[in-house]
Amino acid sequence: MRRGIAQLVAIGVVIALLLTVVAVVFKWLPTSASEEFDRIQAVYWFATVISIGIFALVAAVIVFSVWKWRVPLDDDADGPPIHGHTGLEIAWTAVPAILVIAIGVVSAVVLARNGEAGTRPLEINAIGQQFAWKFVYSDYDDLRSGQLVLPVNQEARFTMTAVDVLHSFWVPNFGQKMDAVPGIETSIIVTPTREGEFQVVCAELCGFGHATMRAKARVVSRAEFDRWIQEQNA
Amino acid sequence: MTTTLEHATPDHPGPDHGYPEHYEPPRGPYWRLFFGPGLVRGVWMALAFFVFGLLIVAGLRWWWGWDPILHWEVIAAVAGMTTAPIGFLAGIGSFDYWLHYIVGRPTRPEDHSGHGATSWKDYFRVNTDHKVIGIQYLVTTFVFFTIGGLMAMLFRAELAQPGLQFVDPQTFNGLVSVHATLMIFLFIIPAFAGIANFVVPLMLGAPDMAFPRLNALSFWLLPIAGLMFVTSFVVSGGAFGAGWTGYAPLAEGQPLGQTFFNIGVQWAGASSIMTALNFLVTIITMRAPGMTFWRMPLLVWANFTTSLLVVIATPFIAGSQFFVMFDRIMHTSFFVPDGGGYVLGYQHIFWFYSHPAVYIMMLPGFGIVSEVISSMSRKPIFGYRLMALSLMGILVLGFSVWAHHMFVAGMADWLRVPMMITTLLIAIPTGIKVFSWIATLWRGRIHLTTPMLFALGFVTMFTIGGLSGIYLGSVPIDIAASDTYFIVAHIHYVLFGGSVFTIFAGVYFWFPKITGRMYDERLGKLHFWLTFVSFNATFFPMHYVGLRGMPRRVSDYSEAFGDLNFAISIASFVLGASFVVFAYNIIVSWVRGPIAGGNPWRAHTLEWQVTSPPPIFNFDEIPQVVGGPYEYGVPGARHAVMSAAAAEPQEVRA
Amino acid sequence: MTAHAETHDHHGPPLAHQSSRVDARVLGMFLFIASEAMLFGSFFTAYFFVRVVNPSAPETWPPEPYHFPVFVAGVNTAILVTSSFTMHWALQSIKRGERRAFLAGMVLTFLMGLAFLLTQVVEYIHVGFNTGDGAFASVFFGLTGLHGAHVFVGLTLLGMVIVRGFRGHYTPEHHHGVELPGIYWHFVDVMWIVVYAAVYLI
Ligand code: HEA
Ligand code: HEA
Ligand code: CUA
Ligand SMILES: [Cu+2]
Repeated sequence: MRRGIAQLVAIGVVIALLLTVVAVVFKWLPTSASEEFDRIQAVYWFATVISIGIFALVAAVIVFSVWKWRVPLDDDADGPPIHGHTGLEIAWTAVPAILVIAIGVVSAVVLARNGEAGTRPLEINAIGQQFAWKFVYSDYDDLRSGQLVLPVNQEARFTMTAVDVLHSFWVPNFGQKMDAVPGIETSIIVTPTREGEFQVVCAELCGFGHATMRAKARVVSRAEFDRWIQEQNA
Repeated sequence: MTTTLEHATPDHPGPDHGYPEHYEPPRGPYWRLFFGPGLVRGVWMALAFFVFGLLIVAGLRWWWGWDPILHWEVIAAVAGMTTAPIGFLAGIGSFDYWLHYIVGRPTRPEDHSGHGATSWKDYFRVNTDHKVIGIQYLVTTFVFFTIGGLMAMLFRAELAQPGLQFVDPQTFNGLVSVHATLMIFLFIIPAFAGIANFVVPLMLGAPDMAFPRLNALSFWLLPIAGLMFVTSFVVSGGAFGAGWTGYAPLAEGQPLGQTFFNIGVQWAGASSIMTALNFLVTIITMRAPGMTFWRMPLLVWANFTTSLLVVIATPFIAGSQFFVMFDRIMHTSFFVPDGGGYVLGYQHIFWFYSHPAVYIMMLPGFGIVSEVISSMSRKPIFGYRLMALSLMGILVLGFSVWAHHMFVAGMADWLRVPMMITTLLIAIPTGIKVFSWIATLWRGRIHLTTPMLFALGFVTMFTIGGLSGIYLGSVPIDIAASDTYFIVAHIHYVLFGGSVFTIFAGVYFWFPKITGRMYDERLGKLHFWLTFVSFNATFFPMHYVGLRGMPRRVSDYSEAFGDLNFAISIASFVLGASFVVFAYNIIVSWVRGPIAGGNPWRAHTLEWQVTSPPPIFNFDEIPQVVGGPYEYGVPGARHAVMSAAAAEPQEVRA
Repeated sequence: MTAHAETHDHHGPPLAHQSSRVDARVLGMFLFIASEAMLFGSFFTAYFFVRVVNPSAPETWPPEPYHFPVFVAGVNTAILVTSSFTMHWALQSIKRGERRAFLAGMVLTFLMGLAFLLTQVVEYIHVGFNTGDGAFASVFFGLTGLHGAHVFVGLTLLGMVIVRGFRGHYTPEHHHGVELPGIYWHFVDVMWIVVYAAVYLI
């Protein structure tokens, strides 16, 4: 039996390694362009490590058992009458409990951090309407724009509403996402860390134009942002 | 009218009747064709009731002086989708017995003329035999699976390239919505009900379900619901296109098709509530002597917990669709902010059903897999009691997690963390099940038959789906991944790799019991491997495109995802084609497969101790249960004694 | 495989073993009521959202120019509650074999139920607002209407009992046909008290 266990472990390790390769070689996540997404990605990796372990365990036991104990279909003997094992049952109740609570705690911490707006966030109202976004800069005389321009390294608080139906504000590279809901206000915080051009995507089904409800998001330096504001006001 | 039995014996004495005379259908054959219960009467009564509903609507509107008198949306809702189906049900004879009872006429004592099937025609009438009903369910649900799947093929073709090729965006949304609605309400949920209908009474040692007539009625509500979902495509404006979730306010502004969803869900929901009630009563009151709760097979346990979920949760989706319908037709403002309504209320009410619904779509599968794995590994289920208790654990926890579908919906912030914790905790009872299945394999004598392949495929695929559920349960990850193809991947890993695999496992496993014939093992394996590989090729890459930024429910998408989506679409066509192997195998084997014998798997549970297919009343004598259901390998152990008279053990070892 | 199964096609089913003290029909009725209670639950949830959770919930209930006919509905409540007692009386009577008292009780119950329903219709006509007048009206008509539909179903069941009762059915030994609609009727009454309290009183 000891050799059996060793073989099982070997299978498990091989599966885990394969999965790790798959998880690392492909770039599963878009490049992070915000502090919030950095933290989210940390949770993601934490969950991934646990998931790879669990899946490797389950898959290894199945592969090993089938390989080891498969019999021809006309075999008519029975296996040993094992009804259970209290220690094992406790273990596989307790260990997942610990693991998921760990995920829960990490997630709750990150969630709390990602909800912190800093001392003076840039206030932006994002208004969703079939099928376009409108951004209102309330710090700058309610400047309105169809394009989202953000200064880098500055917390921005998006306060969202919708005119007609649900929409959802999402910039994949920012990681943050929130529905715009008619009748109530919702909000998220984004702290862009990377200059560049990104896409604002509507993520909540809002009718036939849902697929094309996009807008441009530009993250620029502070100076350029101020310049842009002036241009718009001019 | 076919009578399977020459002489009738009143069995369950109905309430208060004391009328021994045998019911004789009066008059000639034509009279009977048109006025006797059956599809012909169903059709003309549906038409008559449609006119009746139309007159009521028009009459009331005329009386109140509302304009227009012929308001077609209201007429469609009332006459088309409410009174006409009732007329149909009355026509096929679902209510005959009760109508006699209500007016105090002598009720026809149960002569079992509505029981059993001797020709294929018997499947097209109101039949009270749980085995016939089980088959009716299974065939109907696979028909709707095919329709829903072909819709997926259509929108997968559209998604093969960015830009619009075949359908306009509204039609696309309609296809996706009807696809999911059919799969959920007309395939997974009722297919499990079908398997359970056939198997559970047998497993319990009961001659039938507790309420056979209610059972027949529950079945006949299904085609009505299905027809509504499918025909919504032909009305002006097309099918409902707000997703299977039908979120307000989008659903409230949709064209007429949305009403088909609102009301179709009521019919499907009523059907599942009635079935669930029937299962609960059957399981509680009709177990064979000796069949304590701790001796029930896990499939029975699974249906017991599922039925509790259905009875408690389903009314909430009924409510949610009523409100949307009222908002649409009666100008109420449940979810209209301008009128003082609260938009997120819809999602809370909807998910309070629809999260438990995902367990309604999984727990029966857990039951099936427990049966398959234990009898194919020739070992008792590892940790039987914990297996049953974990089902109860999922049941209870399942009611406390609904808001994990609303992490990015703008609901109250304080709800997020508690809902995240309860969501994550569900991994514990589910993990107990997964680990117990693989521990059952350990040192077993594993027969790698087709049902076993599907069961093992299920365990691995469902683990992947469950783990992606854990990602989503973590709020920060969900914020990034919600409403993307990552969700679509999760859905299909749990629903296809989970539920559908278990349905395949169950159909193959009980196929010899249901038909008396054996399916073709080679084709079965081919089906499995084709499905398994193409399933993963279709849905695994969706995790990737989702995380990378492709939202769900889009007909058009960024060029960057073009290549992968093309590959996904090709894989999905192979996945669709793999179903042809299954269909061929089932149909051909049903007609001329080799005779299977009563217990080809040498399983211990009661359904295997009778002939295949089982005799019309299941048992000649109610068996006496003397032990657990999975005592494989225990010398001399028995689950039941089939007949008090028979001294010799008849089952087990051939 | 059982050897004797095929030879016996020709007889009725064996009587199912009764594995619980609870009667199947009573259990079925209670489960049905459980799901009905949940249906009401979904309507109360909608009420809760409109009146409590919603940031723009009305200050007063009902919002300003409107009024609910609290008194008329109160009288109606009394009628419905009384009908529960007459229902109980009818059931007790048939259990004791007192046919006339049973029938009288049933008819009384039915008439009171009918009176309740008719009053509600009149109330709807004179209430002074319509379904389109805002969310408060939605939950008002939603809850009272859902309840009214249940009264209607209850009346149908009672009517059934009455018809069969006058035809001489039911005996002290066989009265499930009275008991089950009775249970349902009590449920409808209790539900009304909750609806009345939630919509009209608080
Ligand atoms: C059969 C159906 C089914 C099942 C069983 C599940 C199971 C789970 N689901 Fe899933 N879910 C759906 C069907 C299902 N889901 C559907 C249809 C949707 C989309 C609806 C829509 O919007 O259209 C959805 C959406 C959905 C969301 C919302 C996503 C979003 O829209 O943003 C979330 C979030 O928490 C979630 C979580 C989970 C979790 C935690 C489980 C858990 O129950 C999984 C538990 C199982 C395991 C974890 C694996 C086995 C366990 C072990 C091997 C033990 C060890 C494990 C650990 C230590 C982690 N699901
Ligand atoms: C049990 C549930 C179930 C099942 C079995 C399936 C099966 C399939 N699903 Fe579905 N799906 C859902 C439940 C399910 N789905 C849900 C709940 C949603 C969310 C909807 C929403 O957003 O509202 C969804 C959404 C969904 C999407 C996302 C749409 C979007 O967001 O825009 C996609 C995309 O690829 C998809 C694809 C498929 C495919 C390819 C199959 C295939 O497995 C189908 C295979 C079956 C057949 C093809 C039919 C039978 C085959 C034949 C008759 C053979 C002949 C055919 C050929 C040779 C091609 N599904
Ligand atoms: Cu706006 Cu989707
Ligand atoms: Cu859920």
